[in-house]
Amino acid sequence: MIVQLLGLFARRLLVAIPILFVVSALVFVVLRVLPVDPAAMSMPPNATKSEIEAKRQEMGLDRPLPEQYAIWLGKTLKGDFGASIHFRRAVSSLIAETLPATIELALLAMLLAAGLGFAGGLLLFHWRGTWRGEAADLGSTMLMSAPDFLWGLLFILAFGVLWPLLPFTGRLASSFARPVHTGFLLLDTLIEGRLDMFLDVLKHMLLPATALGLAFSVPIMRVLRSSLYEIDHADYIRQARLRGVSEKRILLRHALKNAILPTLTLMGVQFGFLFGGTLLIEVIYSYPGLGNLMVDAVRNADLPIIQAVALAYAAVVLVINMIVDGLYLVLNPRLRAA
Amino acid sequence: MGKRLARQDLAFLRSGRVIAGAILVGTVMICALFAPLLVPHDPQEQNLITTLVPPAWSAGGDPEFLLGTDSLGRDVLSRLLYGARVAMTVAILASLGAMLIGATLAHIAGYFGGKVDWVIGRAVDVWMSFPPVVLSLVLMTGLGAGISSVILAIVLVDWTRFCRVLRAEVLVTRRQDYVAAARLVGFGHWRTLTREILPATMPLLITLFSIEMGIAVIVEAILSFVGMSVGANQSAWGQMIADARQTIYESGWNLVLPMLAIFVTVLGFNLLGDGLRRSLDPRLMQAREL
Repeated sequence: MIVQLLGLFARRLLVAIPILFVVSALVFVVLRVLPVDPAAMSMPPNATKSEIEAKRQEMGLDRPLPEQYAIWLGKTLKGDFGASIHFRRAVSSLIAETLPATIELALLAMLLAAGLGFAGGLLLFHWRGTWRGEAADLGSTMLMSAPDFLWGLLFILAFGVLWPLLPFTGRLASSFARPVHTGFLLLDTLIEGRLDMFLDVLKHMLLPATALGLAFSVPIMRVLRSSLYEIDHADYIRQARLRGVSEKRILLRHALKNAILPTLTLMGVQFGFLFGGTLLIEVIYSYPGLGNLMVDAVRNADLPIIQAVALAYAAVVLVINMIVDGLYLVLNPRLRAA
Repeated sequence: MGKRLARQDLAFLRSGRVIAGAILVGTVMICALFAPLLVPHDPQEQNLITTLVPPAWSAGGDPEFLLGTDSLGRDVLSRLLYGARVAMTVAILASLGAMLIGATLAHIAGYFGGKVDWVIGRAVDVWMSFPPVVLSLVLMTGLGAGISSVILAIVLVDWTRFCRVLRAEVLVTRRQDYVAAARLVGFGHWRTLTREILPATMPLLITLFSIEMGIAVIVEAILSFVGMSVGANQSAWGQMIADARQTIYESGWNLVLPMLAIFVTVLGFNLLGDGLRRSLDPRLMQAREL
């Protein structure tokens, strides 16, 4: 089992690494057709032409594109992503600060999406063929039509402004000193043993995570329902029914187990999308994560950050896919035997 | 037989979802087409005396501004109507472009298989390893702000949605006996693809196209929200949301109305797509007969 898992991860890595190379090259080329001059942007406004030219040479912008890419790639492989033009800090430290915040948010959102998705899917299936089922089905189409950032804005309006229940900016109330251990605030506050801080972090994450989770729960619901539909016609379910097993037991003990697999595959794909969805949610909630960093960088044409952040997103998505494949292997007995 | 087929062909017209979707999309389309005739005010006309007027039906509303005014005193209804133009232009052109590229590559990959299929499959993998929002932001940085860049970015990001799903469908269709028969009769590749395979993948293509239009509306809203779509002299729904966010404590309506516009439009496209899929997909039709 463990050998199989390791083999799977090795195979996936073999695919993932070339993909990351191509991704990095693509991003590099796209950003180099930019009409702005990053050298001029990184200089004070009163810099002379020759000073800007010197900066261009220092940044390697006068060299041919493949050479520039080779230099950038060499540095990147050593973990040196360059310095931000706007923040004048190492990009690697900016990413190290923001990536845990985004991962934390995405994980909580995924947890909520899975919970809502499974509950909704079971309910949709339970109500099949009744007017309730039709209504719930229509309801799920409507839910699908409201993207995550609309939920985010609606929640701010409802629970932040009109009925001020929860905070909607940042990660932690400013009255607390931020603990620094892993960068994952939920974890860090627990390490410090500060339950009050932990709850405050959770409160800050609740609205953005629910907005994301709600939007991504709908596809999970629908796939779970249709896999349950398919399984409902299977022989072993009919047999269980003939044996007089209760409907509830059939659903929870027999059907659900097998319906989980296609749902899990979908959740893997969805998690990739959800991770991208954090970008706008972070902007809306002023949440200091990768997404806010990216949007700031795009507004300032801060090329070193854009390159590195885009790569970070791609890397996380590939890691997620690997984990999902691993889970699939662990949960699917048919694959294990092969 | 012929009669039954005709009835099935037209069955989608009786689907409640298709009708509801068509009405919603049709309404937005009419707003977009006739915006210059429908607007009560110039959408850019500022009036700093009448700022943040609430909608006409609420206390303090002014019947002259049916849906109120924004923080610069511009008429919200007029801005929404002009926003529909931007949304629909992007939805139609971007989805057409993404469909053309995605469907063409999917048919080539699925039909010819082998190395071509491998290359196209890897390209899709590379694309899919990016969250779509991130990829479109990177592309927008390279292309520069503007509505044509938005359209191009959506085409370049979303062709994979068509390619992935359609390729699988082409693979199944290619193995059908009637396709082999067409080849034996002496049909060329082009003729087989367009006359035998395309009709079979068409229902899926239409469904995907309808859903993609909804996605394009959302992406345009996102990009105009972060200020990368239309300029300040035009109005787009995402831009209206970004403006309204600044005055969220004074006026919730300014935020809710453009959100509602996006929701209704996307709902229309999704209902249409969902309804078409249900009535056009032969596998689902069989499932219903069982």
